[in-house]
Amino acid sequence: MFRHTMLFLGYELRLTLRNPVWPLFGILQPVLYLLLFAPLVANTTVGGTMGDTLRLFTPGVLMMIALFGSLFVGFGMINEIRNGYLERLAVSPAWRPAIVLGRTMRDMLVLVLQALLVIGLAWLMGMRASAPGVLVMLVLMAATGLLASGLSYGLALALRDENGMSQIMQFFALPLILLTGIMLPMSLAPQWMQTVAHFNPLYHAVEAGRSLFDGDFTDGSIPLAFGLTLALGALTLTWSVSSMNKLAG
Amino acid sequence: MIIEAHGLRKTFTAKRGRGKTEQVEAVKGVDLEVEAGQIFAVLGPNGAGKTTTIRMLATLIPPTSGTAIVAGHDVTRDPGKVRENIGYVGQAGGVDENSPGREGIILAARIGGMSRKQAETRSEELLTAFSLTEFADRPIKTLSGGQKRRFALAIGLVNRPPLFFLDEPTTGLDPQNRANLWDEVRALRKQGTSVLLTTHYLEEADALCDRLVIIDHGLVVAEGTPDDLKKEIAGDVVTLRLGESANEPAQALLSAEPYVRDVRTEDETLRVYVDDGEHNLPHLLRALEAGGLGIQSISLDRATLDDVFLRHTGRSLRDAD
Repeated sequence: MFRHTMLFLGYELRLTLRNPVWPLFGILQPVLYLLLFAPLVANTTVGGTMGDTLRLFTPGVLMMIALFGSLFVGFGMINEIRNGYLERLAVSPAWRPAIVLGRTMRDMLVLVLQALLVIGLAWLMGMRASAPGVLVMLVLMAATGLLASGLSYGLALALRDENGMSQIMQFFALPLILLTGIMLPMSLAPQWMQTVAHFNPLYHAVEAGRSLFDGDFTDGSIPLAFGLTLALGALTLTWSVSSMNKLAG
Repeated sequence: MIIEAHGLRKTFTAKRGRGKTEQVEAVKGVDLEVEAGQIFAVLGPNGAGKTTTIRMLATLIPPTSGTAIVAGHDVTRDPGKVRENIGYVGQAGGVDENSPGREGIILAARIGGMSRKQAETRSEELLTAFSLTEFADRPIKTLSGGQKRRFALAIGLVNRPPLFFLDEPTTGLDPQNRANLWDEVRALRKQGTSVLLTTHYLEEADALCDRLVIIDHGLVVAEGTPDDLKKEIAGDVVTLRLGESANEPAQALLSAEPYVRDVRTEDETLRVYVDDGEHNLPHLLRALEAGGLGIQSISLDRATLDDVFLRHTGRSLRDAD
């Protein structure tokens, strides 16, 4: 079972490495935010120095990659259902959960690498963050990737339709981003928005990221973010794995 | 018997909008017995239940009722064991379009339990056997339909399954590639692999298979070797065009002749099934002349599986789609 998962992971990773332009393209938008939006914020009264702004801004940008990258991985799977690839895997001796697990692990790895690139860039731009904090943040990124790609594969297997899937993701993505405080801290928001934001798991992840980058490991948002992300990740992964088991037979 | 199926049924619940559902009986009770080492065809028009049948046998969908023992194991109780002993190539091929074919073959081999080294050796073997070596490292999506199909076959055969399922293997292939695929299927039989394939091409079933079933509307309507099935309805068929008004009297007239087995009207033509056509054609011509019936056109052919289909379902397979 573990062997099959590793086989699928290796296969998918080789595929990604053969075409690394897409994951690189995936961080282009967040990088543009870093380059073009962070200086803007730094010039306003909220920002303070460029370094401070980046420390505030980078964790949000990281969550943006997690959301916009991993949430879309399911699109490829719809095509794999249509051209019979998953069907063939389903009648092969492959342990079925491995088909999803291998992919999810690939997504988590890609996400962590993307995050490293973005953090590196922010560093070059003048951000100084706590190194252990950054490490823990990378783990949180991986957990967010688990949540997002589990959700994406689950949706792909349930809907099996690109149109329906893009509608649903459009519907969720924008409020999730706006209520995360990625662009600006939620402390600037009116009370009702702050209350709503507390129901957004990504909000806690961004808050946790900011505390971690500041080197503040005592903040309550950190265990909360880990707990929420891991619990929801376990839920979405279970959903996508059981959908795969029911793919046929 | 490599496949023994009894009373296989499959009912789907189809959505008909606004929460309404409808029960669709795709397969209504199919019995199949396939001997090891045979090429066995399931022939029928589109929508007859061929794909549903093969998908039940390959453990992709569970039967609503009925039993099937495939390669020695029960498809409902022990699907995992069945999967270890079959290869399956679906209608769409089922090859990962983004990776090179070699990667796909190696992955399938390793999933089947081979070591990396064994998998590499096996993939070389298959690439050579299917003349795919020069395309092995190009992404599948850049290849032609025939090349993709060969990769699909290679992946399906990687673990040397004793039983190989092919769902509409030649649909969408040009005549050259179709002939090549037939040769590849025959080569499998030579190696002792049993093959179950579905097709809606009569020529394919006729040229390729040892035995076949004809299915229509989810039921088996005929079963046997191609030759036996054709013999059942007589060896030869005379196709006559006499003009609309002459069809009925001609049918009555010819049915009374001793060498005529059956007469059927199809559109404006009469199909007269006769034994020993070459010998009896002059008799038939004389009988028509004596009855005062003029002939617009006439031809003598060997009976085909389409005639078998016509006999059992009352329509031609070519019209049934």
